[in-house]
Amino acid sequence: MDRIVFGDNQFFGINHMSEEKAQSQAERFKDDDAILDVIDAARACGIHTFMFSTHERVVGLCDRFRARPDKYSDLKLCPSIPYAYKYANAVNEKGILGAINEFVFSGQGAGKAIHTIIRGGMSVINKDMIEVMKLLVDADMRMFQGLNVQAVFLQNTVTDMLLGFHVKEVFVEYANHISKTYGVDPAFNTMNMPDLVDFLLDCGIENPIVCSSINKAGFAMNPSRHAYERRLADGRFRPMAMSVFASGAIRPREAVEYVCSLPGIQSIVFGASSRSHIEQTRDLICSCWEEMRKSELAQSA
Amino acid sequence: MDGQPVPSLVWGAADSPELKCHVLKPSVEETVMLRGGIVGFGRMGLTHFSILNTHPNVDFVAVCDSSSFVLKNAAQYMGIETFTDCERMFRTMGLDFVVVATPTAMHADVAECAIANNAHVFVEKPLTLHPEQGRRLLQLLQGKVLVHQVGYVNRFGDVFTRVKQLLDSGAVGQVLTFRTEMNGPTVLHGSKKSWRSKKKEGGGCLYDFASHGVDLVNYFFGPPDEVVGTVFGSIHSDGVEDTVSTTFVYKGGMRGNLLANWSDPSYRKPSCQFEALGRMGKIIADLHSYKVFFSYAPNLDGFTQGWNQRSYTVFATPVRFFVRGFEFTRQLDYFIDCIVEGKPCRISSFEDGFTTDTMLEKIRTDGESRGH
Repeated sequence: MDRIVFGDNQFFGINHMSEEKAQSQAERFKDDDAILDVIDAARACGIHTFMFSTHERVVGLCDRFRARPDKYSDLKLCPSIPYAYKYANAVNEKGILGAINEFVFSGQGAGKAIHTIIRGGMSVINKDMIEVMKLLVDADMRMFQGLNVQAVFLQNTVTDMLLGFHVKEVFVEYANHISKTYGVDPAFNTMNMPDLVDFLLDCGIENPIVCSSINKAGFAMNPSRHAYERRLADGRFRPMAMSVFASGAIRPREAVEYVCSLPGIQSIVFGASSRSHIEQTRDLICSCWEEMRKSELAQSA
Repeated sequence: MDGQPVPSLVWGAADSPELKCHVLKPSVEETVMLRGGIVGFGRMGLTHFSILNTHPNVDFVAVCDSSSFVLKNAAQYMGIETFTDCERMFRTMGLDFVVVATPTAMHADVAECAIANNAHVFVEKPLTLHPEQGRRLLQLLQGKVLVHQVGYVNRFGDVFTRVKQLLDSGAVGQVLTFRTEMNGPTVLHGSKKSWRSKKKEGGGCLYDFASHGVDLVNYFFGPPDEVVGTVFGSIHSDGVEDTVSTTFVYKGGMRGNLLANWSDPSYRKPSCQFEALGRMGKIIADLHSYKVFFSYAPNLDGFTQGWNQRSYTVFATPVRFFVRGFEFTRQLDYFIDCIVEGKPCRISSFEDGFTTDTMLEKIRTDGESRGH
């Protein structure tokens, strides 16, 4: 995984600081071209790994990536599935099974739909949630077909709800399905990093990629920043840090210095809307990491 | 500066109940384990289950639902007993508490069953469809030492608890007008498949969606003396309303408006905005942040004259286990704390739920009297 991963919250009206700011971002990125301009700016800054939710807008972006293989061959994508609100709204309207049917069979030609029915038919009859989960994963992954996928993340609402269920089979089967079907690492977004990492290790999922909020303000670090720091020190997983700036609650240098000082952080995920902001953040992360590396070398010498 | 310390509000849930019930609090050596059940294993039921299943004082043992898909998987993967009849569940499982997350029309019957079986009870919002049902539940609770709570989750939100304290502190002066607005993309098609599109089951924008906004008004100001000018509107639904607008009038002169629309595709998720104008200032709040305008130098918590903005990224405190929002865990942990510590529920109790139900009823009858 690259040291810097570019996130997509800003494109789809997600901002933890204020709903007002989220709204203005949604307005700014109403056209795919506006999003692609920022993606191109990030690539020009040397950032090639992008985490994408499966927001319906991402379908159009992936079409654009596929249409220009000459331009976008450098892209490494990290889908975060599923886009929870898409399901929540469908469940409201159609009930749980109605929503599953809609997503499993939508966007497929007749031939593929029959294939899905043959594979999924038994699971619908058997009503097995793990088989249904695999069908939903495949349905969400369809939009990334033919693109370079690095790892597939389970979105945090789903990860955390399933974590609360304490059902190991779901995590084991998800991990197996991602590595067998897509040939990449399974990964997890969470708001409960210490509990999740311990649980994944208990499940026998070795050295998992786990992305969570990690910031000096302790924002969205449940149950506590201290528990996160302890879990990071224990290792045995590949941590990625997001919400590093807590949506602007911490000064940038202080925010990045804190995260770079923690043991084992593999990558920092951040989102930005302008080239200058991307450059500044990239430079800050690179310089903090470099300083950290130098001080480690000095200590070991 | 005059060198005087700046007074500050003590932020946090305004709750300091005296002990009333029998105390279940464990000695140092033992941990109280409460046997829990859940009725209604849909979206909210699954959320509540996930949060409470990780609670150190909870052992979830039973689930009741009508869906064979849900029950089969709950039994197979979660190892809990499954039921389609909640009376049987109570009879056979000896439950300490139950979470009720069924369609609203069933809340009263299930809660009554819980009370009859001496189980503490948490009911999703709104409490009931008819205030007389809520009144009956309160009568049944008389003389019982049972914790009862309704899922008005905004009362546990980081922003709205602070707004409540600001209003109660009098910092913005006597409130003259307020506005509560809720919007979301909950219903964007004319589907008839969900209970949410059936009035008899408690569907419709008013009960299923706007009830959060109505309860926020109850939480901040108490029930109004009059509800006027209610208009229901339809966008996609046939049998239920998709929009609600109404006006609350208070004897002291305060008045407020509620606007709700659950069929607005411009929103990514349900949103709730609140605004209050007082004689000395104004508050504008949503789920993530709030702004306060003071027409004077308030000498309070770092606030200054003019506009002040605060975001929950700065003041939100983490929770034991997070699913979907800090407030979801806080409300359930409060419920369990009340049971374990033997204290009555003081935040979003059945009494609060009943008052909000009476407000919902007034809105409904006012709207229907206008032929909507």
